[in-house]
Amino acid sequence: MTAGSVKRRGLAAEAPPKPSKRFQSGPTAPGNGNPNPSPPLNVINEMEDDLMDEDIFLEETLLKYEEDEEALRLAEDEALASRLSKWKRPALSPSYLSSSMNILFQQLEIDYVIGESNKELLPMSSGPAAILRIFGVTKEGHSVCCYVHGFEPYFYVSCPAGMSPDDISGFHQTLEVRMRESNRSSSVPRFVKRVEMVQKKSIMYYQQHEAQPFLKIVVALPTMVASCRGILERGIQIEGLGSKNFLTYESNVLFTLRFMIDCDIVGGNWIDVPAGKYKNTKASISYCQLEVDCLYSDLISHVPEGEFSKMAPFRILSFDIECAGRKGLFPEPTHDPVIQIANLVTLQGEGQPFIRNVMTLKSCSSIVGVDVMSFDKEKDILLAWRRAEALKISGFPILGRVRNSRVRVRDTTFSSRQYGIRESKDITIEGRVQFDLLQKEDVHHSIISDLQNGNSETRRRLAVYCLKDAYLPQRLLDKLMYIYNYVEMARVTGVPISFLLARGQSIKVLSQLLRKAKQKNLVIPNIKGQGSGQETFEGATVLEAKTGFYEKPIATLDFASLYPSIMMAYNLCYCTLLTPENARQMNLPAESINRTPSGDSFVKSELQKGILPEILEELLAARKRAKADLKEAKNPFEKAVLDGRQLALKISANSVYGFTGATIGQLPCLEISSSVTSYGRQMIEHTKKLVEERFTTLADYEHNAQVIYGDTDSVMVQFGVSTVEAAMKLGKEAAEYISGTFRKPIKLEFEKVYYPYLLISKKRYAGLYWSNPNKFDKMDTKGIETVRRDNCLLVKNLVTECLHKILIDRDVSGAVQYVKNTVSDLLMSRVDLSLLVITKGLTKTGDDYAVKAAHVELAERMRKRDAATAPNVGDRVPYVIIKAAKGAKAYERSEDPIYVLENNIPIDSQYYLENQLQKPLLRIFEPILKNAQQELFKGKHTRNLKNSTPSNSGIMKFAKKQLSCLGCKALISEADRTLCTHCKGREAELYCKTVANVAELEVLFGRLWTQCQECQGSLHQDVLCTSRDCPIFYRRKKAQKDMAEAMMQLDRWEF
Amino acid sequence: MDGATIEDGEMKLFERKQAIYKSLDEKYLVHGQRYKGQQYSQIYFARLHHLRNLLHSLVTKWKPHLEVITVLGLEESKECVIVGTIYKHMKLKPCILDEYSKERTAVPLVKPHNFLHPDDQLILEDEIGRVKLRGSLLNPTDFVTGIGLALHGMKTIEGDFLVQDLLEAGFPPQTKLPRLGEDKYVVFVSGLNVGSNIFNPLQFQLFVDHVTGHLGGENEQKMTSQIVRVVIAGNSVIIPHSVLNGQALTPEDQRKLTEPIKEVDILLTQLAAAVPLDIMPGPTDPANSFLPQQPLHRCLFPGASAYNTFFSCTNPHQFELDGFQFLGTSGQNIDDLDKYSSAQTKLEFVERTLRWRHLAPTAPNTLGCYPFTEKDPFFIENCPNVYFVGNQDKYETALLHGPEEQQVRLVCIPRFSESGVAVMLNLRDLNCHALNFSADLDS
Repeated sequence: MTAGSVKRRGLAAEAPPKPSKRFQSGPTAPGNGNPNPSPPLNVINEMEDDLMDEDIFLEETLLKYEEDEEALRLAEDEALASRLSKWKRPALSPSYLSSSMNILFQQLEIDYVIGESNKELLPMSSGPAAILRIFGVTKEGHSVCCYVHGFEPYFYVSCPAGMSPDDISGFHQTLEVRMRESNRSSSVPRFVKRVEMVQKKSIMYYQQHEAQPFLKIVVALPTMVASCRGILERGIQIEGLGSKNFLTYESNVLFTLRFMIDCDIVGGNWIDVPAGKYKNTKASISYCQLEVDCLYSDLISHVPEGEFSKMAPFRILSFDIECAGRKGLFPEPTHDPVIQIANLVTLQGEGQPFIRNVMTLKSCSSIVGVDVMSFDKEKDILLAWRRAEALKISGFPILGRVRNSRVRVRDTTFSSRQYGIRESKDITIEGRVQFDLLQKEDVHHSIISDLQNGNSETRRRLAVYCLKDAYLPQRLLDKLMYIYNYVEMARVTGVPISFLLARGQSIKVLSQLLRKAKQKNLVIPNIKGQGSGQETFEGATVLEAKTGFYEKPIATLDFASLYPSIMMAYNLCYCTLLTPENARQMNLPAESINRTPSGDSFVKSELQKGILPEILEELLAARKRAKADLKEAKNPFEKAVLDGRQLALKISANSVYGFTGATIGQLPCLEISSSVTSYGRQMIEHTKKLVEERFTTLADYEHNAQVIYGDTDSVMVQFGVSTVEAAMKLGKEAAEYISGTFRKPIKLEFEKVYYPYLLISKKRYAGLYWSNPNKFDKMDTKGIETVRRDNCLLVKNLVTECLHKILIDRDVSGAVQYVKNTVSDLLMSRVDLSLLVITKGLTKTGDDYAVKAAHVELAERMRKRDAATAPNVGDRVPYVIIKAAKGAKAYERSEDPIYVLENNIPIDSQYYLENQLQKPLLRIFEPILKNAQQELFKGKHTRNLKNSTPSNSGIMKFAKKQLSCLGCKALISEADRTLCTHCKGREAELYCKTVANVAELEVLFGRLWTQCQECQGSLHQDVLCTSRDCPIFYRRKKAQKDMAEAMMQLDRWEF
Repeated sequence: MDGATIEDGEMKLFERKQAIYKSLDEKYLVHGQRYKGQQYSQIYFARLHHLRNLLHSLVTKWKPHLEVITVLGLEESKECVIVGTIYKHMKLKPCILDEYSKERTAVPLVKPHNFLHPDDQLILEDEIGRVKLRGSLLNPTDFVTGIGLALHGMKTIEGDFLVQDLLEAGFPPQTKLPRLGEDKYVVFVSGLNVGSNIFNPLQFQLFVDHVTGHLGGENEQKMTSQIVRVVIAGNSVIIPHSVLNGQALTPEDQRKLTEPIKEVDILLTQLAAAVPLDIMPGPTDPANSFLPQQPLHRCLFPGASAYNTFFSCTNPHQFELDGFQFLGTSGQNIDDLDKYSSAQTKLEFVERTLRWRHLAPTAPNTLGCYPFTEKDPFFIENCPNVYFVGNQDKYETALLHGPEEQQVRLVCIPRFSESGVAVMLNLRDLNCHALNFSADLDS
């Protein structure tokens, strides 16, 4: 029997994304040798993907002839053909057909390929050239692929002093020769197409002169930018000037981005191709309805405002592939067949998918509302899928099937599989975190194979699961409004949507910077990669936290967008930075220079307005507008768009600071970032000082104010008053007063009062949040254990409950009692096992881990027990820590929760007490309770211990079972059955206890099992789900076991 | 009260009438079964099987021209009949997963009276398929998960089923009503709630004294002598759950636990000495919680159980008295319907269960029940003559006439501890009236 399976869940928005170099599907895949985790976003020193163009030649991407033939043959199959016709996009109107109308479409993806330059549009050029492809959808829902010709890759170098326009042609020739030497294999007729002298200015440092000569170097193909840059950086000989090394400018801009910037195209905006300016392509190579050629200079790009802020009705495919794998191995395309593919297609903006289908290997019973297609061969499934998809999606499944440099084998199955992989995007990864919340069902590997090998009924069940899985990403997408947020982010920052998914933060800032710089005739030097990533600068200040439990209202003063405000207020930018040397030379008057607390100098805006401040101003003004519109907006779609926009704007504004501080980023400038943080520190200190000086009894206030804590952009003040209302009044007064002392637009705002407030340490606090004096809004916590996966649920529950009791019920002793009860329950083995499960992902096999880890060891042990059900790489491994021989390491004491349940294995309650509960609880209680450790973890409640007796241990095999009295556990004879003579009198009481226990179990059993029925969506079929990520999985199992025991217990009380 | 007989100075002695009693509780007994890990799918399967057989035979008369097909066999725009179990998708239905996924809210939620929401949706499910139901004919508020229906309609383009007509299983058949030449009464009482602070011992003592014939004049006594049976429909005792936390009980807690039970035993002993007595378990009693609830253990009532007139029964409870069929519950089935559907009166719910031919359709979905495998004991095979429900807010009754001359007396028995009301039913004409022992004489 084969076991093991992979489930790939993917989601492909309309346009086929660029060939993602990452393999991003559900589990990471060692099979592909590329378990590349996505780099975390929002990290200042993030590692960027190398910004590298990759030339892809058109011919290579075309399908082999016979493969396409096969797909066609399949499509001729009547049944399939009729289905395909159903999925067709709306037919083109005559004016489209006759090319007599503008093609107006929302572009969703832009990439480029290398092809022969278009003779008709560009009669002057020949040889290979980069052709941009813009994919999109018109408002009628037609798919569009627009080939844009004539846009050439280029970059700048500064013109060496003494070089005159006459020297250019010599320079050009030298460069051409050097390029030919280093690109011998290339057959391009000319590498360097043109060298022009232009007047530009570098963005770096404040300069008094207007512009300087720069050389604009235009090359034949995008990849040549990099090789040409290399040659120039290393230096070349120039006649009369000797060897020169060049600093290149804007040589790290991706070709598509360059194109977008120069044509004012932002991600996901609307583009007009005027009638008469485009021609239908001769040989259609995509499945798009409209496929045209045009010149880049003829495109009209619309600013995404008003009419053009809408979304086209593009289609979203969400799919799930099931394959049958082999025992204990991650399925590999060469061995393991794909057995089912479920597809759902939704129109953007509509709630329900309009196409649902499942393609299965072997027959499958029908499913209501779903188109079931069965095939006998795996190959046919894959071909049909591709074929179908070709029609459904505007995109380009076949052309989009771009070679993946890591995988060279190209038999049909494989490449198609790869194609599936290619389309899985980051969304699925981000989404996975959410799956648990969405109550994802999991069918175990071995069950998948069994279901597949059964009959058409069992395969139908599998198909239902498959469909459900396919629907999940879609639902997730809707729920989190990914589409709106991403499109808005793309529009704001100007990068293609695919960049947002595949690349980090800095490309977004770079895109904005480049656009702005272009307007100002500035060029950006390519100085990336200089930092080692080691340079650091002092970060944000955190004021000393005066820890404790505050039972008086604490007012919080917040700086609104602190870092962006600082950059604007002090005109901090690349182009306003003064080097000490320049400062001396230029001899500027002191009043036009700002010296920052970190010791750097920037000129004031009268001399030179900074670009970064300008970008920030625009972003924040736009955000203000979006927020105002949001208030006005009535319909939910409009709201979603606007909310997406304001969020995108906020994130963008905040990432500008990070961009300047990213030492291995695109354009690091630590002078800016350290100035920003130093100002930030100063402001926090300043605020503290002012508050404590002004609000005193000497100045006729009731109490002396005290700043108890301050963090990056907020300051917590205890004014000493006892009502929320009074604290709010003072908070407002303080915010206004202190704001007045800052340079605009830095502003201190008063937003909220915490009351009561539990300050545990730096970055850790909890409190009730009041924004109006009548009623608190919520409980706010920061840095306190909540949902971390390597904590068991018990910790989370305890912490939440305690905070609730302390803050809301104001019942500290109740919280203490609650902890004591739980501790006692834990020691008495009365805690529900599911609360004790710890889960960790298995990323590599045991040998690859340097340090022994509990979950890896367990996976190994389980493999020895039963390889078919053992967790595989990529699975999450749940475990509990059990009692074992003294001195055994923690990793040796991990055990499968199911195994523990089935065999009554005792839990190591001491471990949970010390390693899980103690720290987070002491953190909370130490500011409140004297001797918290003593009180909570040592008292009388810890004296009673109880362990279950394992039913599988060696000694139990020799034990003889004998009845004991249900009351006092004394051994009794067979004749007595239930109670010893001594306990007979307490019969009623003891019976009540037993039956109450049974009643409770029954309620739980009912709730758990009906919930699982609900989740699986069927009443008449047994629940198959074995998802260990489900919080009730173990309880459900346990309920079954308890049920059997309870029945036997009750039976002993004969009726 | 009529004091005339007392003046005579001499008490007339009445002999209590007898009736032939036959318990039909056997199908509700779970005792002795071993739980083998089964889930709830089987009881639904069994239920659908019963109902399908029934509905299929009815459909041939109802829509003879239409084909009955399975959910999977549906074809677009083709009129047909489908038979299956209703599933009601409810937005507000409490979910055990919420305990995990939702943050604990700062403000405790107000417990709603029921969980209905305008977006609730009905789905029909057969053994393998499901289809969403549409159309104005079916109002989701009237239906609950678990009932079996036959629906006439067709599949829409969206893949839903547009309902044009519906058929319920309808009234069960009834054996001919026996004729009784004399008055014989059955008394129903429920919700004594001994052990709660609203229990008034005097009130119940009055009841006991009345039934046992220690009160009232000759007329009254004559009437009480015609009481052939007392049925206590659940919630006789309230067990303080606070003391049952798994730890050893202190003597104080032991007393708290057993005192109310002893009190009930004393009262029941008095009753049992005078009249045959059925006691059913209810949600607050020391019994299991799954339906069918198993009889209260005799060890709880050492006094009363010594009499052979004391019958500890299951809930639901079914019996035959002089040929009259009785069926009743302690109220959980109706209370649960009230949470997940709506009706004008409680009696309407009671009537619906009869028409659906199912005593507790919401079990196991929202009402705990034993995971039966071979059968669904709640399927109503025969129409009872008396159908009673305990622990309701107020006394309600109606005489229902079925299409095949069935006659059923529906009774909602109020909680005695709150109302002081017991219900007296005359077997001869199935008339019934309330007996009010309210100590508050104004009411």
